[in-house]
Amino acid sequence: MKINKAMLQRLLPFLSLIILFVALSIASPYFLTANNLTSVARQTAVFNTMALGMTIVIISGGIDLSVGSILGLSGLIGTMALERGFPIAVGVLIGIAVGMLCGFLNGLLVTRLRIPPFVVTLGTLGIYRGASLIFSNGLPVHKIPAGFSFLGEGSLLGIPFVAWMLVICAVIVHVVLEHTRLGRYAFAIGSNKIASVYAGIPVDFHITAVYAIGGALTGLAGMIEASRLMTGQPTAGQGYELQAIAAVVIGGGSLNGGEGSVIGTLIGAFIMGLLSNGADLLNISNYWQQVIIGSVIILAVTLDEVRKRRAV
Amino acid sequence: MPLLELQDIEKRFGGVTALRGGNLTVNAGEVHLLLGENGAGKSTLMKIVAGIVRRDAGKMLWNGSEVFLGSPSEAAAIGIAMVNQESLLAPHMTVAENIFLGREERNSFGWVNRRAITEKARHLIEQYGFPLQAEWRVDRLSPAGRQMVEICRAIQHGSSLLIFDEPTSSLSDSETRQVFRIVRDLKARNMGIIYITHRMDELRVIGDRVTVLRDGGAVHTGNLADIPTDQLIRHMVGREVAQIYQRDHLTPGAPLLEVRNVSVEASRLKNISLTLRQGEITGMAGLIGAGRTELCRAIFGVDPVDSGEILIEGKPARLTSPRDAVQSGIALVTEDRQISGLALRLPIGYNVTMANVERISNFGFLDLKSETARSAELGGKMRLKAASPAQLAGTLSGGNQQKVVIAKWLFRESRIFLFDEPTRGIDIGAKAEVFELMSELARAGAAILMVSSELPELMHVADRILVMRQGRLSGELPRGCTQEQIMKLAVMETAA
Repeated sequence: MKINKAMLQRLLPFLSLIILFVALSIASPYFLTANNLTSVARQTAVFNTMALGMTIVIISGGIDLSVGSILGLSGLIGTMALERGFPIAVGVLIGIAVGMLCGFLNGLLVTRLRIPPFVVTLGTLGIYRGASLIFSNGLPVHKIPAGFSFLGEGSLLGIPFVAWMLVICAVIVHVVLEHTRLGRYAFAIGSNKIASVYAGIPVDFHITAVYAIGGALTGLAGMIEASRLMTGQPTAGQGYELQAIAAVVIGGGSLNGGEGSVIGTLIGAFIMGLLSNGADLLNISNYWQQVIIGSVIILAVTLDEVRKRRAV
Repeated sequence: MPLLELQDIEKRFGGVTALRGGNLTVNAGEVHLLLGENGAGKSTLMKIVAGIVRRDAGKMLWNGSEVFLGSPSEAAAIGIAMVNQESLLAPHMTVAENIFLGREERNSFGWVNRRAITEKARHLIEQYGFPLQAEWRVDRLSPAGRQMVEICRAIQHGSSLLIFDEPTSSLSDSETRQVFRIVRDLKARNMGIIYITHRMDELRVIGDRVTVLRDGGAVHTGNLADIPTDQLIRHMVGREVAQIYQRDHLTPGAPLLEVRNVSVEASRLKNISLTLRQGEITGMAGLIGAGRTELCRAIFGVDPVDSGEILIEGKPARLTSPRDAVQSGIALVTEDRQISGLALRLPIGYNVTMANVERISNFGFLDLKSETARSAELGGKMRLKAASPAQLAGTLSGGNQQKVVIAKWLFRESRIFLFDEPTRGIDIGAKAEVFELMSELARAGAAILMVSSELPELMHVADRILVMRQGRLSGELPRGCTQEQIMKLAVMETAA
């Protein structure tokens, strides 16, 4: 079979991930060890879970800049519930519910006020962060049952529990996007909102739903973060929105909407995770890591744009 | 010696000939009307004169010597300027800043001297007596005011030929009179003026001589006083009736959609009543801006109806959103399919099922196999030229894109079809296929409203033709009516 150029370009993010993986295996003896890979899985779990939510939002033509703050608020409220003696599972669900509520509010504001999601979520980025600080008085929550650390640090069948969680979430989001009405509407709305309205799609309802789902996944990410740190930090998640957006975009998602996939996002997230891990292993300074990741974002999107321009 | 003389101008875009035999002579101190149907080549000819497009063949003489213009600034340098139809002004800047936008004088620091351009603008405005102030912000101006800023932009160089492209299409009557006054004033200053318009009622108020373009060539030129309006219209529209419009006409069945005394203030629709029946294609003619698209939008629930009612199959319907309309069986094929009809970056299959995803879903889960099979089947029936339902809609040609839009509504099993300019921008072969589809729909019992600016199309496809003018229905004509009859209803005051 002849591998054509278009297919090669489509596979480029995946190939880059593999090349990166192989290169790191050669460059550092510590990379390809169970210890290191487990820690990569744990470190990237938070971003990856958030990025899954961001994928749906971006496909529907939206953006959520408030996810960092949502992560902080849901982690905080979830751990506060644990502090009050709620069972661990209930606490986690409360965290997810808080995230979902925040996302739902974002969706409501976007659809009711008819102002761009960039502006709405820039506003709620401040509001949700402020809410965390108000509820907590700026102090972290520490009195958390020890069993809670299992979510972020535990293992099941020798594989980190968060990795299982991520796989389950990824499969669910993939199925939602590709095999359900909601996912189909997200693509349609993101690709052409006016045409979607004219096709009789309940656009506002689905936009709101998309933000709520994104919020719920961010809520889960918040609980994972809290579990890994074993604290409910009101300031957790600052700046994470950019990581989540970058993962989606590197994975072929378009900020114009209508494009993106779970696989792409995961590849994007892992590329960033490996870059950061590799830089640590190779003793590249934290300062340079930021420069490298920034350059990768621009490079990835440029290559993707070139491919699309040729295709149409 | 004439100011401008165009001799046998030719222009091709790819395989399409936009102009051949473009002849036009304009004298200083005259208003020369340029008439023709959409697509007759008026805009292309004017773009050549204004240096926006280069000619492939033919001669352009300016004050008797041949010129080749490579850009609008070269045209401006010799004294030719165009007043844009769509406002290309920066809304947040002042009148003065807009007049000199891109041509600001800078002082020795490279700063724009705002006081100097305001002073120059004031001088220009005074000289021509425009009701404008140099300091006003452009977004506070009326459409006529903006038009005047555009005119100022065009004449600041001391141009000797001005081109107006439908300057009054979006203006009220009193604003139109202001523009006329300015045009006459410019004429009195011995400028040559080329004036494009679709409004037959304003021809004789403003024009001296006239040239009619049809199918890319000049078919008539002469003094306006020497030719009656009927004959001008015949020159504009007269062409051979093509075979492609043939269809068998059926006896109309039961009414599916009744519009009763509908008015929409925001889009200036007044008291419109019409009935669409099963098996009937109702044509709708009218000038651009007469309210035809707005009527479709009102029926489809996009714009709220202020008074009147809409009945579907005899029962009053509440259509407050496109969703209501779609669920009541109404389909809208919009005039701008790329903006409001298709998701260009999604596969054909997604587009086909978009208005009826329910039909391929079980408990919210999609049956993708059925989607592929059904859209392939529909595509086959419609002779859609596509590799597979997975091909992106944006990669199709105009005609095939239109077929996908129609397939979407077929898949929805809509029964009332509103076609707004269904053949815009598609080639003649695809047009015939679109008509065939409409015909088939009618045979299958659908009710169809077909809005079109192309009169031959309407006359041969529609069973009867409604004509709109300035937001009202100005009349109904039976099959077999003449283009002159339609144009009269479209442009002239109805005898009250």
